[in-house]
Order: sequence, then structure tokens, then C-alpha cells
Amino acid sequence: MAGSFGNGAAKPPDPNRIIQEAFDSLGRRFPSGAFGPIAGAIAFALWMASGLYQVGPSEVGVVLRFGAVTQTTPPGLHWHLPWPIERVYKPAVTRVYKDEIGFRTIAVGPPARYRDVTEEARMLTADGNIVELDFIIQYRIKDPVNFLFQVRDPQETLRDSAESAMREVVGSTTIDEALTEGRLEIQTRAQALLQEILDSYKTGLQITTVKLQDVTPPGPVQDAFKDVINAEQDRERAINEAQGFANDIVPKARGTAAQLVNEAQGYAASVVKEAEGAAERFELVSDAYSKAPDVTRKRMYIETLEAILPGIDKFIIKGGTANDVLPLLELGPGSSRREVAE
Amino acid sequence: MKFLSSALFSLFVVVVAAYSLSCFQVSEATQAVVLQFGKPVKTIREPGLYFKLPFVQNVVYFEKRLLEYDAAPRELITRDKQQLVVDNFSRWRIVDPLKFYQTVTTINGAQSRIDDIIYSNLREVVGRTSLTEVVSGDRVALLRGVTTGSNLKAEAYGVEVVDVRIKRADLPAKNEQNVFNRMRTEREQQAKKFRAEGEEEARKIRSQAEKERQVLVAEANREAQVLRGGAEAEATGIYAAAYNRDPEFYNFMRTLEAYRRTISDRTTLVLDPDTEFFSLLESSK
Repeated sequence: MAGSFGNGAAKPPDPNRIIQEAFDSLGRRFPSGAFGPIAGAIAFALWMASGLYQVGPSEVGVVLRFGAVTQTTPPGLHWHLPWPIERVYKPAVTRVYKDEIGFRTIAVGPPARYRDVTEEARMLTADGNIVELDFIIQYRIKDPVNFLFQVRDPQETLRDSAESAMREVVGSTTIDEALTEGRLEIQTRAQALLQEILDSYKTGLQITTVKLQDVTPPGPVQDAFKDVINAEQDRERAINEAQGFANDIVPKARGTAAQLVNEAQGYAASVVKEAEGAAERFELVSDAYSKAPDVTRKRMYIETLEAILPGIDKFIIKGGTANDVLPLLELGPGSSRREVAE
Repeated sequence: MKFLSSALFSLFVVVVAAYSLSCFQVSEATQAVVLQFGKPVKTIREPGLYFKLPFVQNVVYFEKRLLEYDAAPRELITRDKQQLVVDNFSRWRIVDPLKFYQTVTTINGAQSRIDDIIYSNLREVVGRTSLTEVVSGDRVALLRGVTTGSNLKAEAYGVEVVDVRIKRADLPAKNEQNVFNRMRTEREQQAKKFRAEGEEEARKIRSQAEKERQVLVAEANREAQVLRGGAEAEATGIYAAAYNRDPEFYNFMRTLEAYRRTISDRTTLVLDPDTEFFSLLESSK
């Protein structure tokens, strides 16, 4: 019991030796001089001095008198009644201890190397799936008296309780939660539950952290899980591509639409303006015409014929004979049109 | 002086001898039974300094602290006939050292008894519970039953079972394979769903864009037609208003204009000399 928590106090003197010395003195029939009383005084002083002990900066001293706890002492130099009346234990209370579940650190590194302990890590989830979950626990001694005298093996108790607590929490979580956004909640709940268990055992331990490390689907199904993530990426990619297509064609279509409307507006303006121009022109001409209709009419007619007749083939045929003559005229294939003026 | 020192020495020797023969300490972590020629006479549970008769009585110490017991994993069958590998542990303590000494004597001896008791209780409780309840149900309530049941029997050994907990509850290896297969197919269908959803969304977006394009162009076309029609109607009105002032002259002028446009150098014109233009030609003959 003493060895595991360190006992740095000076070793008490061996009682058998003292007794032996006493008998030796008696055997010498009380030799002359003050040797006996001096030796006795020295032995007594040494015995009393054996009660001096030092409590380290991270420790607390727990003093037992005849096996019962009487006081705890802070870091520094102290004295207790010497053995066998009192003795002291000095657990390190400010130190933070760490335990790993689901894996073990083989080499601290860098690079750190780990070994999986699958049977610790593998657990069932609420939806009947299996997840592999590694976590660490950090803890310290909050009650040195309970730590020393309430549980025989606090460390093993902690490990067992931690595994139990974590499985209970994961057992009420779905695999998707455990793998993604549920991690924080698992940590919090597991820590609370673990603390509750440890307190009920009075281990005197305080959990400072429960931290999930790797949370992964079991090896044989990891590929399938990765593919789901890929599929999600594929989905986003398909949507983005389509969005890109839409972003390309819709603005172009708006441009086309504007173009069509603008063209129509241009056309409309040109048609109306042309009509206005033509109307105005007609009005001007007809005003002039109405002043001298006959002459103007003739002039216009003759001018027109003058303009059109020069360049073309003309046959002047007496009325009524046209039908007889026409077939004889070898009208060239280039002549696509025949006009008969009255 | 000589006498005094001798007397002190003698007293010292007597004290030491008396202490080592008739005093004993019981620490916080232990409890003890005092035996007189093998017959238990006293049970001590509080820490402190105690006395015994020298040579006649001797003391046996027991752990007072909470003790561990970690059972080997075992296959249990749940109510819904599922096999489950359960690894449980328990915490217990010696509450009656005398009874403990008389029945099981050592911690190892007690552990094997506790194992039997807890296992039978656990098997019975798990047999009444479904797999899901064991994994994700109220374990506290489930195991409280086991703890209470175990305690009734453990009492006979001077032992109190403080807590029974399931450390691990896993599926046997052959069932695990089935679970893996199911998990894989589940994920596969999920992946398919994601990809199909992507395709779905992409098609929606593309067709929506195509539709928008068609609608935009069609609406623009309609507007263009209306614009053109309106302009043409307006032009028609303008023409009509102007030409109505002198329809006869319009007819004449427009016909002449049409001649100019339609008769080109590839036209062959067959004319009657009676035409107005040639009338002078005829009469001068």
C-alpha cells in the first residue's frame, strides 16, 4: 500500500535493534559512566526526528494515526509523531493523469505511433451499427483520502467505468451523429456519466477531460462510408455545373430578347418615318398637280416612258395582230417578264 | 543515577514488548477479525489502535476498500433471440469480514462466487430484454435489477455487490459480418441517392434555364411583332390620310412609279401603236 503512492519519509528505526541494544546494556550490568543514558537520549532523538517529512509541490500529505486519518498537510516540511504512532502518504494531487481507450501510444514520437485496440474501440450504436471510437481521459485526484482508502484499484476502476460509460452513451447515439456533429455531445455526456460512476464508487478522482480521438466506421465498411462523402461532392458538383449552364444561357437569352425588341422598335420607327415622308411628299406633289392637272399628268406620263423605254426590247404591233405575231418573236430565255402596256 | 537509567531502560523495553505483542493497528483501508485459538471473537471495522491478548489471540485483516471484479466476456441470448457478447464488471466490498472469513476466506475465493451469482442474474435479466434495450435502453435500470438480485445471494458471503456494469456488449463475430454487410448496403443506397439528387437538381436547373430562355425570346418576339404591327398600322393610317386627299392622282402617280420599278432592261415590251404615247406616231403616217 505504501509503495504505490511513494513514501519519502525517513525510515523509522528498527525496534528489534533498540531492544537488542537495551538487553546488551543490561547484560553489561549497567557499565560505569553516562553511556547508557546518552545512547538512550540519542536513540530517542533519532526516533523523534524520523517524523520529519517533506510534501512536494504537487503533493498533499495524508497523516494517519494508528491507521485513522487525522489530517492532511500542504506542501512544505512537516513533522508527524514517529512510527508506529503516525505515518504519512503523499499522493500527487495536482498532476493530471491520462488514460487511452481504444488505442495505445507505442512511441510518443514525433512521429507518434499508435496501436489500435479494436475490442475496446468497437461499439454498437443506437441504430444497430458498429463504430470504432478512440478516446482519452484526463483526470486528477480531487480527494486524496478517498483515493487512498475507498477503492483498491482506482486506475482499473476508471478504465472499466470509462468503457462502460462511453458504450452507454454511444449506445443511445446513431452512427451518423457519432461520426459527425454528435461528437461534442458524446464527450460531454460520457464525461458526466463517468464522473457520476466514479463519485458513486468514491474513487476520489476528478475527470477533467473526455476527448474523442478517431471516430471511424469499422475497417470493412470504410470504403462505403467514404463513397457517401464522394457522392455528396458529386451532387454538389452536378448542381454547380447546371447552375453554371443556367448562368450562361439566361443572360444571353435576355440579350437576345432585348435585341429583338430593339430591332422591332427600329423597324417601327423607320416604317412610320417613311410613311410620314411619303405622305408629305405626296401632299406636296398633289398640291402642285392640282394647280395644273392636265399638263402635269401628261408630263409625268411621258417622262416615265422616257425613262423606262430606252434600255428594253420593244415591239410595236398593231392591235389585234399581236396574237399571231407573238409566237414568232423568239423571246429569249432571259426575258422572264412580258409586259403589255395599254 | 545508574539505577535511574536502568529503570528507564527497563521501562522502555517493557513498553516496546507490550506494544508489539498486544497492540495492533487497523488502517482506513482494512478491517480485521480477532481470532482466539481460531475462534472469531471480535470484528473491527473502524481504523485505530486495538488491543489483543498476547499469544492467545491473532488478527486476520481484510480489504475494506471497494474491490474490482472483471468477468470474462460471455455470450448471452436476448429476448429476441439475438446473441450478444457481454463483458461485465462489478465493484464489491467486504461488509461482514467474519462471514467472509468463514465462507470464502480470500478475495479470489469470493470472486469466483460473485462471478457465478452475477452471471446467472445477468443471463436472466438479458434474457428478458431485447437487444436494442440492452444496447441503447436504460442500462441503469436494467443493471440495478442485476445488482439487487446479486446482492441477495452475495450477502451469504459477507459481501455487498455495489454495482454491476456492462463494459462491452458486442455482437459475436459472425453477426458482426452481417451488420457490416447491412451497413455497406445502407451506405451504398445513400450514395446512390445523393448522386441521383444531384442529377435531379441539375436537370431542374438546366430545364428551368432553358425554359427561361425560351420564354424570354418568345416574349421579346411577341413584343417585336406588336411593335412592328403598330408601326405598320400607323404608317397605313398616314398613307391613307395623305392619299385620300386625291385618290385619282395617287393612283396615277403610283402606277407610273410601279412602271419604273418593274420594267427593267431585261423586259420585252410589246406595244400597240394606239397607245397614247405612240398616238402621234400613227397619225403622222
